[in-house]
Amino acid sequence: MTETITRRTALTTTAAATLVAAGAGPARAQGAFKLGVVAFQMSAETHARVANTIDAEAKKKGWQVTLLNSRGSQPEHVAQIDNLVQAGVNGMILCMARVGEAEAQLAAAKAKGIPVITVMANTSPHTLFDISVDDFAAGAQITNYLLARMNYEGGLLAQRYEANVSTRARGKVFDAILSENTGVKVVGQHVMARPQGWQEDVRQGMDALTLRHQGQFKAVWTAFDGQAFIIDDILQGRGAKKGDVLVTGVDGGQETFKRIRDARSTVTATVAIPFEPMGVRAVDLMDKIVVQKQPKGRHVAGARVLVPTVLVDETNAPAEGAWPW
Amino acid sequence: MTTLLPRHDPWLERYGTCLALLTLVAFFALTAPNFASPGNLLNVLRQVSFLAILAVGFTLALIVAELDLSFANICSFAAVAMGALLYGGWPIALGLAVPVAIGLGFGLANGIAVTRFKIPSLIATLATGTIANGAAFLLTGGVAFVGRLPDAVLALGRGAIAGVPVLVVWMIAVAALAQFVVRRTRLGAHMLATGEAEDAARLAGIDVARIKLLGLALSGGLAGLTAVLLVGALSTAAPTMAYDFLMRAIAAVLLGMTTIEPGRPNVPGTLVGVLMIGSLTNGLVLMGAPYFVQDIVLGVIILGAVGLAASRLKRAAFGLHK
Repeated sequence: MTETITRRTALTTTAAATLVAAGAGPARAQGAFKLGVVAFQMSAETHARVANTIDAEAKKKGWQVTLLNSRGSQPEHVAQIDNLVQAGVNGMILCMARVGEAEAQLAAAKAKGIPVITVMANTSPHTLFDISVDDFAAGAQITNYLLARMNYEGGLLAQRYEANVSTRARGKVFDAILSENTGVKVVGQHVMARPQGWQEDVRQGMDALTLRHQGQFKAVWTAFDGQAFIIDDILQGRGAKKGDVLVTGVDGGQETFKRIRDARSTVTATVAIPFEPMGVRAVDLMDKIVVQKQPKGRHVAGARVLVPTVLVDETNAPAEGAWPW
Repeated sequence: MTTLLPRHDPWLERYGTCLALLTLVAFFALTAPNFASPGNLLNVLRQVSFLAILAVGFTLALIVAELDLSFANICSFAAVAMGALLYGGWPIALGLAVPVAIGLGFGLANGIAVTRFKIPSLIATLATGTIANGAAFLLTGGVAFVGRLPDAVLALGRGAIAGVPVLVVWMIAVAALAQFVVRRTRLGAHMLATGEAEDAARLAGIDVARIKLLGLALSGGLAGLTAVLLVGALSTAAPTMAYDFLMRAIAAVLLGMTTIEPGRPNVPGTLVGVLMIGSLTNGLVLMGAPYFVQDIVLGVIILGAVGLAASRLKRAAFGLHK
């Protein structure tokens, strides 16, 4: 067995080395601005939308981009920031970053003069600023919209996700608004447990809830659009169509807009978060402040750039491929 | 059968993977800017320390021919228990002791399930890992504990001794102790005998059940220790924070089984596997390779390692030796 072990080890190493060489890509342009981009979890569509936009925008400027995915792992996340500091990048953009956990790494980046911009993260004394939307406001927008569409009465189901700070904020505002609108009752709710296998978790939970409370709810409030799609599929499978049940979400993407336009779908509205514009803005501000060395104060006041969201329903759903901003 | 390397070359058979690691390091030293700098090499060692300690635990379980698939979830649960205590204002000593106790407790439960109830370790540890995962969410509601911990706790994960990150010291201490126990003590000899030939070990008077229980308990205990270091390093505790280590630790151990003592789980080999994964991850970033290339390369490595060490894994997973 052992002689084939050595043979296979050599084969594996050769294959890996080939991939390594391929991954390094063509020779990098000398002197180009080196940008490190870390997305916390590229398997989440929203993280990928921001990170891929940053990657594309930076490459348009002729920058060298190293795009990394932390796969939702905090230890991996901080290790990648560490590695980018060691790689001597000229700047970093972190998407949905965990700045609290990466405090030591961000301090090291600052000490080495590497400017860091975050998108949809928290602020940190070691970063330039964070570009975000106000998730409390987004939660208020969609909840107030939904309650108005229900004429402030009747039952609804809620699909929550408490493990993520953005979706949790939307849920807290949902609770606050409901407390002032007592004509609307939450007849059932399901809390998504974890990011891994969340689709099946939501499908099972809401399949049961929608059956159990059949006829008792006029609407389904969800913490993000992905949940709304699954619930829409369940309801469509039971013969529901647009207007029978009002399903809402938050995030906004081409699939959401398509369902809002679709007369068969129960998805009624979303609050569209401008992920792509935030990515474009992060690169633009990195260019102006770090590359062109314009004063930060000319573009950003304080530590946070708040970007407005757009409520999208059947009246303003963009055409296929278009965006509401 | 044709081979790429000369047949019957015991040195190459034994150290081929070590040579592959050295080749990889040399490749990155030549092609990846800053890879060979002392600061970066320490950085690599610091980054792999969590993986190394968990992988050493997995190795100890595998040495007694049992598979522990619960360690990552146990580590996450122990971490959030520590977070709950420390962020709740409980004494630091308690906050440090409880995660290790949780790790040991789960490890013992694994051992009892395997030895007393004769449940294959693959199934038993999957079950306890699932319980640990549920317990972590029960404790947190899915919300991570975040905030600055006392300096004494942070020092466990962020400190340095004579310029060497304390995490590296922990990793070396754990690996050295494990290697000493396995290779230099009577207990270690019993562990090896149990893993190699359970029936013969039993006939020789070794309490095989107790040795297996110990192997699984040590794996759990090291998961608890890793939880302490993770929380100390990251100043946070989240219910899935160690999830990502499961496949990597298994890959490291399987890679380690191709070297030093080919075909057998061994602590130095595991460290070689860990260093290979750590060097790859770091070197690829320094070369500017995008994330998907890293995943593909790591996947190739795991595939190769699983292919190399599959027979041993099957024995551990399905108790084929019994």
